[in-house]
Amino acid sequence: MSLRRFTNRTRKDRDLTEEIDSHLAHAQDANAARGLPQEEARRQAYVRFGNPRSTRERVWRYRSLPWMEDIWRDLRFALRGLSKTPGFTIIAILVIAVGIGVNTAVFSVINAVLLKPLTYPDPKSLVEMRNTGPQGSFAGANIPKFNIWHQQASVFQRVAAYDFGGAGLNITGGDHPEQVQGIHVSADYFALFGAPVVAGRTFTSAEDSPHGGHVTVLSYGLWKSRYGADPRVVGTTIQLDGQPYLIVGVIGRGFVTDTPADLWVPFQFDMNSQDMAHYFTVAARLKLGVTMAQVNAQLRLAADEYRRIYGKDSLPANGGFGVVSLQEATIGDTRFPLLVLLGAVGFVLLIACANVANLLLARASSRKREFATRAALGAGRSQIIRQLLTESLALSLAGGALGLILGFAGVRFLLSINPGNIPRIGEDGSAVTLDINILLFTLGISLLTGIFFGLIPAISASRPNLAATLNENGSHSGIGFRSGKLRSALVIGEMALTLVLVIGAALLIRTFLKLQAVDTGFATHNVISMAMSMSGDRFQKTAPVAQIIRDGTDRVLAVPGVLDVGVSNCLPMAGGFGMIFDVVGRPKGNSPFTGGAGFYSISWRYFDALTIPLLRGRSFTEQDNGAAPGVIIINQAFARQYWPKGDPLKDRIQIGPGAGPAFAEGPRQVVGIVGDTHDGGPNRDPFPMMYIPLAQMPDLETALNSRVAPLWWIIRSQVNPRTLAAPITAALRDASGGLPVAHIRTMDEIEARNTARQRFNMLLLTVFGSAGLLMAAIGVYGVMSYSVQQRTQELGVRMALGAQASNLRNMVIRQGMMLTLIGVVIGTGGAFWLTRFLASFLFGVKTLDPIAFIVTPLLLLAVALLSIWIPAKRATRVDPMTALRLE
Amino acid sequence: MKRPPEAGDILQGTLDMLILRTLVMGPAHGHTIAEVIEHTSENALEVEQGSLYPALHRLEDRGMVSSQWGVSENNRRAKFYQLTSKGKRELNAATGRWRRMTRAIGLILGESHE
Repeated sequence: MSLRRFTNRTRKDRDLTEEIDSHLAHAQDANAARGLPQEEARRQAYVRFGNPRSTRERVWRYRSLPWMEDIWRDLRFALRGLSKTPGFTIIAILVIAVGIGVNTAVFSVINAVLLKPLTYPDPKSLVEMRNTGPQGSFAGANIPKFNIWHQQASVFQRVAAYDFGGAGLNITGGDHPEQVQGIHVSADYFALFGAPVVAGRTFTSAEDSPHGGHVTVLSYGLWKSRYGADPRVVGTTIQLDGQPYLIVGVIGRGFVTDTPADLWVPFQFDMNSQDMAHYFTVAARLKLGVTMAQVNAQLRLAADEYRRIYGKDSLPANGGFGVVSLQEATIGDTRFPLLVLLGAVGFVLLIACANVANLLLARASSRKREFATRAALGAGRSQIIRQLLTESLALSLAGGALGLILGFAGVRFLLSINPGNIPRIGEDGSAVTLDINILLFTLGISLLTGIFFGLIPAISASRPNLAATLNENGSHSGIGFRSGKLRSALVIGEMALTLVLVIGAALLIRTFLKLQAVDTGFATHNVISMAMSMSGDRFQKTAPVAQIIRDGTDRVLAVPGVLDVGVSNCLPMAGGFGMIFDVVGRPKGNSPFTGGAGFYSISWRYFDALTIPLLRGRSFTEQDNGAAPGVIIINQAFARQYWPKGDPLKDRIQIGPGAGPAFAEGPRQVVGIVGDTHDGGPNRDPFPMMYIPLAQMPDLETALNSRVAPLWWIIRSQVNPRTLAAPITAALRDASGGLPVAHIRTMDEIEARNTARQRFNMLLLTVFGSAGLLMAAIGVYGVMSYSVQQRTQELGVRMALGAQASNLRNMVIRQGMMLTLIGVVIGTGGAFWLTRFLASFLFGVKTLDPIAFIVTPLLLLAVALLSIWIPAKRATRVDPMTALRLE
Repeated sequence: MKRPPEAGDILQGTLDMLILRTLVMGPAHGHTIAEVIEHTSENALEVEQGSLYPALHRLEDRGMVSSQWGVSENNRRAKFYQLTSKGKRELNAATGRWRRMTRAIGLILGESHE
């Protein structure tokens, strides 16, 4: 269809007019030659021709919109045909809708998490600063690193620091103190992220230096909820941790950070600090046109400079600095699981396609005569294919529209079982929204699907053997050899795909069960935890913190139903701190220190509250305070790793050698060994862990702790601890002089969160596997019952000749199970190869788990047998007389 | 959008085939084509002349025939149509289809007369 056809229209029309005139003249000549008078010859020529204008119109019409008209005609025809077989149409649309729905759902999440750019201006130039080493890279910075990175002005436009998560701040001064998410940021933070300021301003660099005063910037949410979005709030003060903070500005609604913040306060770093503790994140914006090679070269120099200033032990020789795009950093390790998920739903869609193609083939074979007749009347092959493709596209688009709706219901389901660690989807998944990407994706796969499942039946149906088809005079013609083979191939493919899906699901189910069976090493049942923020000037020293722990412990123990209470600076399984150490007197060789281990500061009742068993030595007591000699308790994994020979209880441990002034403390005597806990999650081996009494921490370390993490209260009770939350929080408030608690969660919930990702993967793959299984069952049932119906006559003849009903039934079953068996063999081979991609999701199960690879094929065979049984049964009920009469 | 059925639509394929067949004998203009079809079929097939031109133009658009203006046997300006190689192939295919169909129909009609 060329445009010239339109532009040349006048010329072409003139041409046609002239041609018609020429025709009429020739006709008139011919008539005159037969002896008619001129006038009559002319009249008859006109009569014979008909209205020249209408002929011209017909040529125009054909020339102008033939394809639109063709499509319209095909579509009307398709819809009429589909509405004549509502059962087929509904099943096909539903199957497609399920296939497209699950794809839309998973794609919506992928779109929100992986594809959408970060909401900050020019997100491509934002990077997160990393520490690099042979094990990969990790985020986190101390002030000296921040300082060095700040000086790389040749590659970075801006560099800003912000809390990992933050300890929380308490809004005080009212009747009900409230714990809010206060994030410490450096002065450049808002400029770096292009945060919109709706009132006032952000921090000045003077405010972000030591003793810069108490200032804060409010989030839009807090501004709205607490101040009714009143702009006059700028310049007033808010009480935070008992201190008045001047509100200098408000950030707009559009600014959404990964860790949602209620308000921001300046870090006020002392840039001369030699403090080596890593407790914040640093992001930077690249200068325009700077390449990664330039950044890396610059950071190599920076790492050398860092080693020169802070000593060779400050940075391992094989370590350095690097950057990763902020988007990558935010996505983290979510990409791979999401892509595996997309692969799984791709399988579901393929199964759906095979199913619908099968249904279409069956339908096409019963319409052979229609196609043959049309071909006889001059319809070309391409016209028949086009007609059939119009039908399948009408089906797939209807299925796609329904799938879009299903997909959105599916997204709600996905988010409701969200493991809680999918980044970028917002608190409640609100960031997963319908956008043009998703619409295009759904439209795209609908079209592809329609072409995919429509093309094979269309091509096979468009090659009718005219004579043979028109010659056949009964319904017994059956599926021709070709389409019969095709349908069998589709069933085999469906079975194979389904088997791979179900084996994947089985592996993940086994993983989840194994994880559930792992003993965490501590009590989770009837244990509740709550966070108390210790930020503020009151808690810069150890004594007042220890006092609150003592008072709080006494008061909470007095609450009826409470069995025990412990305190810690971090929560088991919720991520903690690590610290390097030396074993006193042990030669270190080339390494600057003996090793690293998990680091907990705890109260003396902590092990009792979590019923972590004491294996050797003694537990902490209330007397292990700042006045007493330093003590430390280690876990079994620690003892095993560092004392393969010898007795840890005879040794002393020096924590944090060279880690900075906050950790400059004396050696501690090992007094006990406790049982291991699965802190990194049930799928990781317990790692070495050291525990020291909170009451024995140096003041500087307490100050740092108060700043970076809240104090966690852990309470074990006789009854459901939720029912005791109110008296416990009241007791803690009394003990702490009015401090609120937040993040109240039972340890059961925290444990569930730890296996949430496995549960998520398992649930989804089980749902997809079941959907595949159901579709495959429909597929094999459809093929077998169709073939039985088509072979009614043959079966009737066999019965008339004395075949037993059971023979016929077995024959049908044998044929159906043959297809299934081939599918199972192929699928098992596919699963052998594909399950390797699941390896990183598995725990306690091998990718070639014999149980999954035996049970699953058996399950599939059983389901197939069930779907074949019904048509097989029907085969035995064929009445020979009826069957023969059909002839 | 519904339009009344036209004779040319129903026998579309057939008319195209007949036109192509006529052009095997050499280039011809519309009036000749109509006359040849009518005479050769012993006037059994009367080409609706109004349908002839849409058909010719469609065949030309599909590359089955080409056309050029020339002078006719009785010295009138006329547009002559000529078979292209694509048109020859289509004629063969259409003839084959037609033969198979008539045979098939013949078989059926034969049976129904039992």
